[in-house]
Amino acid sequence: MSATVRKPWVQRALAVVVVLALLAPVFAWGASAVGYSEPLENAAEATGAADDAEQTPSLLSGYALPGLGGGLGTLGAALVGSALTLAVVLGLVRLLD
Amino acid sequence: MHIPDGFLDVWILAGCWLLSALAFAVASRRAAGRLGEERTALVGVVAAGIFAAQMLNWPIPGGTSAHFVGGAFAGILLGPSLGVMAMTAVVGVQALVFGDGGLLALGANLLAMAVVDVLVGYALFRVIRGLHETAGAFVAGWGAITVSAAVVGVLAGLSSAFAFDLATTLTVMTVGHAVLGLIEGAITATVYAALVDARPDLILGRDTAAALGEVQA
Repeated sequence: MSATVRKPWVQRALAVVVVLALLAPVFAWGASAVGYSEPLENAAEATGAADDAEQTPSLLSGYALPGLGGGLGTLGAALVGSALTLAVVLGLVRLLD
Repeated sequence: MHIPDGFLDVWILAGCWLLSALAFAVASRRAAGRLGEERTALVGVVAAGIFAAQMLNWPIPGGTSAHFVGGAFAGILLGPSLGVMAMTAVVGVQALVFGDGGLLALGANLLAMAVVDVLVGYALFRVIRGLHETAGAFVAGWGAITVSAAVVGVLAGLSSAFAFDLATTLTVMTVGHAVLGLIEGAITATVYAALVDARPDLILGRDTAAALGEVQA
């Protein structure tokens, strides 16, 4: 796998992932500035289900790292989440092969 | 799109877990033994990229937000089996680590984003690509997210928390995502077109035979 990671296309793809993570704080700021909601939230509001939503206990709730506020926390969450996703996929694939 | 706990009735949660587990089992079985190092790396970076892309919430004037979901893109790029596996990792990490989507509702979120979005996107692409490949990628991205949203609308509309108001949930979810899905389709088509120019050999879903062979270096 180490030889594969050194291949140019893999390194370029990983660089794209890092760039997307760097953009995450900017988009998070923009979205929070306009006060947004998703269609499922709108449907819940319209039918009275909004109060039934339960917060899921999690290590990194709200896509933020503990101790890191604002943009840095979002950036950290994006990097940690991307790395974890990559690790989970590699683990799954190793189990299959 | 991520459904929290408390929204869906128990029988719906159970049914979604059953269907998503079945889909993952079939995908795993089809993928087993066909994964070389390069394909493994491809699935990994695509999943990581989709996770990062899902964090880019676009502010839309009027108080709505949208973000790339990526199931159709995963299906087109990786093929249906690896696409389901990649999206399962994305949605699983989001729920288990970041609390985005409920734990009991994880089966429903997997069904919508890791199964329906991937398979519908792949199917639409395969049907339309004969007419125009990039247009096929656009329709796949747009259509798959709209159908996935409709599925969530049906699940919600059959649940007591939503007062069994299927007409409202289905309308809000489908119409909302049919509009927001235009951005999903545009991103899917744009990235697909760029990959076709740069590395067409990496697009496993483009050719059935490619899904059975090793990715070229």
